[in-house]
Amino acid sequence: MNIETVIIAVAGIFAVASSIGVLLTRDNFYAALYMSVTMLFVAAIYAAFNLQPVVVIIALIFVGAVGIVTIAIAATYRAKPSRQVSLAWTVPVIVVFGILAFAYYKFATQNLEITGQEVFPVVASDYFFVVVLLFSLVVLMMLSAIKLARRVDL
Amino acid sequence: MIDVDVSQLTVILTVSGAVLLIAYLTAISAKDLVRLLISLELMFAAVFLAILPLFTINPATGYTLAIITAFTSSSELLVLVTAIVLLDKRKKGVDVDKVAVGGDSL
Repeated sequence: MNIETVIIAVAGIFAVASSIGVLLTRDNFYAALYMSVTMLFVAAIYAAFNLQPVVVIIALIFVGAVGIVTIAIAATYRAKPSRQVSLAWTVPVIVVFGILAFAYYKFATQNLEITGQEVFPVVASDYFFVVVLLFSLVVLMMLSAIKLARRVDL
Repeated sequence: MIDVDVSQLTVILTVSGAVLLIAYLTAISAKDLVRLLISLELMFAAVFLAILPLFTINPATGYTLAIITAFTSSSELLVLVTAIVLLDKRKKGVDVDKVAVGGDSL
């Protein structure tokens, strides 16, 4: 096991630990903070593979925009609800997770090779219409959301 | 060029599966829409981890999927924030129990 695998494993363990924090905390504000930390560790795993454009996408969009808006919403509705699912559900979840991990370990038998980190600038031209379509959809959804929100009376 | 050996691949997919399962648990135990929103964002974090091996096959497709995932997550946030605000305006609360379609009661 080389140093890269150790770094990825440590980042993965912290990601799982912070996502467990989302599950266990009763405060929405702290749950949103734990969620942002999880995303940062996911970005750290990408950084370990030198996939810097994806790190920037995760850090700017997921943590910078989505995470901050979620934290703001969670701070506004900072309720402390009780859980509605019994902890007995954790047993089948652990069993399913064990089967999943064993399957990954059993069938992941070939080394993979990441190449072409320099192709990111080409994506904007090769997938130009996809990007334009996504931008158009987001703008359309934003306008629809604003119209819907203004139509509802207080 | 970076090699992703078998142990790294196992770690990545196992972490992705673990985060996804925790997100599912959070979603089914959520009692308000804000916690549901947070669990959905966690699911997108798991999706981001799951598409990492795609970069070894076709990096351009991997980048495009990452961009599509980011846009989908942003759109989902937009829709859910609007839904939370509208539900709070109409029902004076964001509890999951207050969500009903066509007058159905849970």
